[in-house]
Amino acid sequence: MSSMSLLETVIRRTLIALVLLFFLFPIFWIVLMSFQTNEQILRIPPSLFFKPTISNYTALVSGELVTAVGTLKLTFTQNLWNSAFLSVASVFLALVLGVPAAYAFARFKFRLGEDIAFTLLSFRFAPPLLVLLPLSLYFTDLGLNDTYIGLIWIYQLIALPLILWIVRGYFEDISPDIEHAYRIDGHSWAGSFFKIAIPLALPGIAAAGLLAFIFCWNNFVFALILASADKQPVTVGALAFVTAAGISYGQIAAAIVLSILPTLLLALYAQRYLVEGLSLGAVKG
Amino acid sequence: MAGSLILDHVDKFYGPKSAGIHAVKDFSMAVQDGEIVALLGSSGCGKTTTLRMIAGFETVTEGEMRLNERRIQDLAPAKRNVAMAFEGYSLYPPLTVRDNIAFALKGARQQRSEVDKHVDEMAELLEIGPILDRYPVSLSGGQQQRASLARALIRKADLYLLDEPMSQLEPQLRAVLRGRIKNYLIHHGMTVMFVTHDQTEANALADRIAVMEDGVLEQIASPAELKDRPANLFVASFMGEPPMNVYDATVAQNGGGMRVVVPSPNGGEAIGVDIPSESTDVQGALSIGQKLRLGVRPQSITIGQGEDQALVLSNQWLGDQTHLVIDAGEHQMIIVSYTPVKEKAGETIPFLIAPEKIHLFTFDNGDAITHGTELAK
Amino acid sequence: MATLELDGVSKSFKTGDVLSDVSLTTGDGETVVIFGPSGTGKTVLLRLIAGIEEPDKGDIRLDGKSLVGMASDARGVGMAFQNFALYPHMPAYDNISSPLAARGMSKERLDEKVHSIAKLLKIDHVLTHMPKALSNGQKQRTALARALVAGPQVLLLDDPLRNVDAKLRYEMRLELPRLLSEFKSTTLYVTQDYKEAMALGNRIAVLAAGGLAQIATPEDIYLRPANVEIAKLFGEPTINLLSTTIETNSKGPTVRLADLKIPLDAHYERFQGRKVRIGIRPEDIAITREAREDALKIEVVAVTPLNERVVTLFKLADGTECFASAPDIQSSTTTRRHGAAYATIKTDGILAFDHNQGQRIEATAE
Repeated sequence: MSSMSLLETVIRRTLIALVLLFFLFPIFWIVLMSFQTNEQILRIPPSLFFKPTISNYTALVSGELVTAVGTLKLTFTQNLWNSAFLSVASVFLALVLGVPAAYAFARFKFRLGEDIAFTLLSFRFAPPLLVLLPLSLYFTDLGLNDTYIGLIWIYQLIALPLILWIVRGYFEDISPDIEHAYRIDGHSWAGSFFKIAIPLALPGIAAAGLLAFIFCWNNFVFALILASADKQPVTVGALAFVTAAGISYGQIAAAIVLSILPTLLLALYAQRYLVEGLSLGAVKG
Repeated sequence: MAGSLILDHVDKFYGPKSAGIHAVKDFSMAVQDGEIVALLGSSGCGKTTTLRMIAGFETVTEGEMRLNERRIQDLAPAKRNVAMAFEGYSLYPPLTVRDNIAFALKGARQQRSEVDKHVDEMAELLEIGPILDRYPVSLSGGQQQRASLARALIRKADLYLLDEPMSQLEPQLRAVLRGRIKNYLIHHGMTVMFVTHDQTEANALADRIAVMEDGVLEQIASPAELKDRPANLFVASFMGEPPMNVYDATVAQNGGGMRVVVPSPNGGEAIGVDIPSESTDVQGALSIGQKLRLGVRPQSITIGQGEDQALVLSNQWLGDQTHLVIDAGEHQMIIVSYTPVKEKAGETIPFLIAPEKIHLFTFDNGDAITHGTELAK
Repeated sequence: MATLELDGVSKSFKTGDVLSDVSLTTGDGETVVIFGPSGTGKTVLLRLIAGIEEPDKGDIRLDGKSLVGMASDARGVGMAFQNFALYPHMPAYDNISSPLAARGMSKERLDEKVHSIAKLLKIDHVLTHMPKALSNGQKQRTALARALVAGPQVLLLDDPLRNVDAKLRYEMRLELPRLLSEFKSTTLYVTQDYKEAMALGNRIAVLAAGGLAQIATPEDIYLRPANVEIAKLFGEPTINLLSTTIETNSKGPTVRLADLKIPLDAHYERFQGRKVRIGIRPEDIAITREAREDALKIEVVAVTPLNERVVTLFKLADGTECFASAPDIQSSTTTRRHGAAYATIKTDGILAFDHNQGQRIEATAE
């Protein structure tokens, strides 16, 4: 009996290892690359053993890249800051707008309520490229092109639907009688919203916020078209390594590692909440 | 059609013996041919586990089970010749209620007309005639339960196992169905074991009730005996609604005889009952100064006569009976009277407790010492 | 003074829950039980008074002032919900103190009141626990404490004992009336259990088909129910109902039950010829082995002991099933008895209901 399950365990563990290898290999390779020089990277055959160097990272941080054809100014740290600022600000705005809206959708049945909610969700489905051209024209007219405000506004298309749908599920899961009891006790509507509804939905709000942050951070296309140089986040900033003088693989790898580090750490830390948030309200009780 | 069931020192552990849950502890019981036995207890007491072991849905960790002298604890459920109506042992969705019930008779190989006759009889008994041609998914909880019961009872088996057989039923139907089902079971001499947490149901249907708590069989006896001669304080307090009045008491000297006294917090006697001088057995079992517990049922207290006066705290009339709460020397006492009581809250009423009506239990572990003027065995 | 008036209140939902034209006035400090089978709108009534819903028609007045349109937090009522509705993220203490905090009470007074009511309801030792660590009985008493603590003029209790086990339910049934009388609130108590209704209510308001079928004292409801449905709802086992016609002979009005003629109160004389359903309470029927002249020949189907009473299911000569119940004085009787026997009926409690409409026929002088 036990030998059977030992075989089972071995097979199971091997399969899991293979699957993990398949998905994690690119990341693993990139991390390796970030500690190699360009020559080491391009060497054939590729080797797992090399003398690591941190020159890529120092180049990014110091803002200078020494290449064969001269010294290039790098704006990577500025990109990192942009990513952080844009994501945090967008999520903050989306929460301020989205949480009360989610509450309204959850608690009040108004005409066309479901239709409006679905329309807002559909923004997530629409390919950004569809709206980018007219959007960039409007932005230029409005003077919003290449501004933080413009980008934060556009990022609502990413963050708001997410917040609305996840948080609404959490509000719906709270028994309305609890809020009624609070009102009957003598507290105002605002009291019941801030002292009862929000604390009880906090896991959902946090999960939605985290997810929205990750999606905003990863966005490429909006920032590419609607921002330039000093407003670009890391997703776009990585393009700078593709130069006429050649592709600095090492620095790209280092840039990628630094770019994914925040969201990776966040996801690892909050993975339980993320899974909960993604399967929102699907199972009642 | 009928069988005798013996449970011989049955134990059930979930998990390893050292660290697991001891769900059923050294359970022994003999059910006679044609007897109806109830397993009664609060949730988690092990009654459902015991039933499932008899059915074959749980393994027996230790001990033996014999049905008609056949050892069944290692047999698959289908091989035990046991009919069951379990919660979750649902009806087959693609079959109508009629076909579901008739399915149970497949083994008997009867003519179609015979089968139909049986099904119709059973349907009339359980009031499911109108739904015979419906499908399980369209039935209410109560209807499903009745259909499931019909399916179990229509079979010819050595033993019938029912798990909370009437828990979903509408209250108005329960009384009628209890009577009809009891009649049916007796008429056909069926050996039945059922699990319930509802005393009323156990009292109504069973010849004997096995009261369980925490995996242990506390007492197995007829409803009357459980009421009049409970083996310990647990059974005494568990059985009966309203629950038995229980007080801490001492045995005092009274002239040449004994008196059981419940002291009042501010000195003096709150309740006192003399032990008749003829009851030498009882006197022999007690000693002066002994601490014990005194129990007396609400229905056994006489009001309107007696030397003790008590303050009425509440008087609730329920149509066919009155529930009184009185204050006897700072001790609350619940009394049930089948004749109307005119004293209202705030008035005093005389009351009397006869020595034949009291139950005495040991102070430390609650075992019964005496019931009225007789010794507990 | 806390008189609550419901004036022609109507409310309907898409789900079908309907209240139509409900009117009642409660006395100061009175406990009125709202009774009825499930789905008759009892909870809706409480929610209308609490301000969770608004009536479609009619008015709700507290001491003469209309509550309609007023938000819940301004109404000054206390409510205990069926599913407790405790705040899961606050300990029991904060749950109970919530109405006092809303009224801006000082910390010392608040603390004193919370502890005093917790002691009264025997939950003072679990005040620091979170709701999920409380047993059902403790949750129920916490909800009750929260509803009572601010001494509201109107107390709304929505079937608070429903989710509580049988032993505790009985205990609370005895304790609640004393508790409520201490607080002097006007109380509306919803329940489906007729014993609870009779035990707790000064008056019982029976809701059926969305309207008030009868509102009267427990005694009147039990002894003089307005119609056959109400008679069936009160009493365990259910009242026996037999179809027959009122006849008269030289000795006065009678009804025929199988082979026996049962005499009725003389005032029934003027209803001669009327088709009725006779209601006989099980406790008014006694089963005997010996034949008697005034006894019905019956066949006992089953004897079922029932909590210190014995209920006998028996059949009349024409096959109608009936119940008799008696106190179980000699518990040594075997409960497997069945077969031929006799039933005698105490006739002064007999009720008569119109055969078609179901309303009770009053036997009073013209």
